[in-house]
Amino acid sequence: MADRIEGVKKLFTSKSAHVETNRGDAHYEKLFQSCQARIEELKTQTPSNNRLDIDDLLQDQGVNRRDFMKWASAVTGMLMLPASFTPLVADAALLMNRAPVIWLELSDCAGNTEAMLRSDGPKIDEILLDIISLEFNETIMAASGHQAEAQLEDAMHTFKDKYLLFVEGAIPMGINGQYGTIGAQGETFYDHLMRISKDAAVVVAVGSCATFGGVPAASPNPTDAVGVMDVVNGKPLINIPACPANPANMVGVIIHYILTGQVPELDSLLRPKFAFGYRIHDNCERRAHFDAGEFVEEWGDVGAKNNFCLYKVGCKGPMTFNNCSIIRYNESVNWPVGVGRGCIGCSEPDFWDKYAYERPMADANIKAPTGGVEKTVDEFGLGLLTAAGIGIGIHAAASIIAGKKEDGGEV
Amino acid sequence: MKAGYKQVKRMTGMMRSIHFVNIISMIVAVITGLYIADPYYQAFIAEDAVDKYVMAWNRWGHFIVAIIFDVTSIIVAYLFFFSRFEKPYKKVIPTKRNIVDFFEVLLNLLTLNRRKKFDSTHSDSFNTVYFAIFHLLLAWMLFTGLQLYVHVFPHGESSIGAWWPWILHFATDWTLVVSSWMVGTTATGVNIMDVRISHHLTMWLLLAWVAFHIYYQIWRTIFWKEGDIAIAVGGSKFVKENKA
Repeated sequence: MADRIEGVKKLFTSKSAHVETNRGDAHYEKLFQSCQARIEELKTQTPSNNRLDIDDLLQDQGVNRRDFMKWASAVTGMLMLPASFTPLVADAALLMNRAPVIWLELSDCAGNTEAMLRSDGPKIDEILLDIISLEFNETIMAASGHQAEAQLEDAMHTFKDKYLLFVEGAIPMGINGQYGTIGAQGETFYDHLMRISKDAAVVVAVGSCATFGGVPAASPNPTDAVGVMDVVNGKPLINIPACPANPANMVGVIIHYILTGQVPELDSLLRPKFAFGYRIHDNCERRAHFDAGEFVEEWGDVGAKNNFCLYKVGCKGPMTFNNCSIIRYNESVNWPVGVGRGCIGCSEPDFWDKYAYERPMADANIKAPTGGVEKTVDEFGLGLLTAAGIGIGIHAAASIIAGKKEDGGEV
Repeated sequence: MKAGYKQVKRMTGMMRSIHFVNIISMIVAVITGLYIADPYYQAFIAEDAVDKYVMAWNRWGHFIVAIIFDVTSIIVAYLFFFSRFEKPYKKVIPTKRNIVDFFEVLLNLLTLNRRKKFDSTHSDSFNTVYFAIFHLLLAWMLFTGLQLYVHVFPHGESSIGAWWPWILHFATDWTLVVSSWMVGTTATGVNIMDVRISHHLTMWLLLAWVAFHIYYQIWRTIFWKEGDIAIAVGGSKFVKENKA
């Protein structure tokens, strides 16, 4: 209830999703100057910890300079900056090892770490994530136990107020956070997050669990899981939802931070507008079939073979804000709708209860916080209408009988 | 005219036009809205895509009647307070007279016209409150509908200028928070699906409203014998000369 009251308080302060793509020459010239100064300054610093050389790494993976610059211009476009920023973006990418990153793993499946690490033949986005100065990440670090904790302490101390804190996973709040503890001291996830976020420059919640609670927070939410923005206050916070979050958007946020020293423009859910300002639906390659009313009715039918719209088998693209229909995954190789199954709205709050169903929600019959979503609404509505009809019928019948008596009495 | 009766004007031409425009809008909105929620009939798959535009036509129809509904609602809201004919808000204010009037009309319905201790010449408090509920439901429908619609303008541009999406965001973004509050969630943050669910449920409430409205007006016509049903068509009803 308290959250709901808090929600109503936010009612008139919510920011709109409007995406400003052109802020005028004066703005961009000023921004260019400040970004350039920042890049020059970063170049004078030595890499904090990561000894890998980006040029060697790119060469090893068979990426030549030309491919790299093509990638840089695409990222410039994704960040909604003018083309003149491309050299700066390329420089910022090469300087990514100047940004110390601490990566926390809470209530989740490590899917975002997997997305970052396990692509088949790493693309530039993933290679760049190799060279960030990743100071701490439970999943991939060699150290364990007290040794790992010492490393975390060391990183927090060395990069105090400078590190980017990436958080993956929801925070269970039930029974004083005892649903999730970590380390030899048995620190709860909540305490762990609060302690480490205190000295962070920016907190980045990665994936749907860290942003909105995701699957752990799905009904009935037994652990009272919440997202990072529910518990961390007073820090710049960026949400990169989706299940998993797209590595391209992680890189975009880091590059934007290196380039400008600021968080990108965010919407009311603290998602970067450059990535989450659009609905999947509006840039979908199957959109024309939606307008034509050409739908896949069943898996494998003639519509499926003709790449028809997946709305009737549950695509939630019309209600989902993300850039996967534009940038796709693994450097534009493919994305869910491209492989012939609908979007499940994984970057939206409450997606597990209100989006992830292979039917339009008007025809869904799943348990959700209210005991069912639109199917329940329809059945309830039809019941209500029937009840109204029956009531009317009874009243009408009574009126007819009573009316006749009255007529009989009146002479 | 039957002897001993006099004609009382109840609805102006403007009010009646709005009434029937609303009826048509509502029927179209329900038929197209159900298709948009869950396409319940199939396009002719053998036809070329260029020849069909089924979802687009449904959305077009839905939005056109919605925008007509929006405009009539603005007119109705204006007339609610400033009509020179009859100002409905005066019947909604909970004064003693209105409260008594409200319950007398309700009792009249519940006692099947055995008890009728109010003046049925002019619009009564009960019906006016009932109409006010309709317009509140409708307002909610319009705000949630426009919130669902505004995301077709991600860049904030529209064919009539940037002010239109701006004003839609300004006027309807709060429905996200309120819908989420109404529908309930276990997650952090609000989502547009809650607005959709609320928009969809409100349709059913409106249909239930319509069912009682039509029934009650016919019932009045039959029981009061004052030709109430004609108000919506000819604009007037008939009351006995000695009454009022």
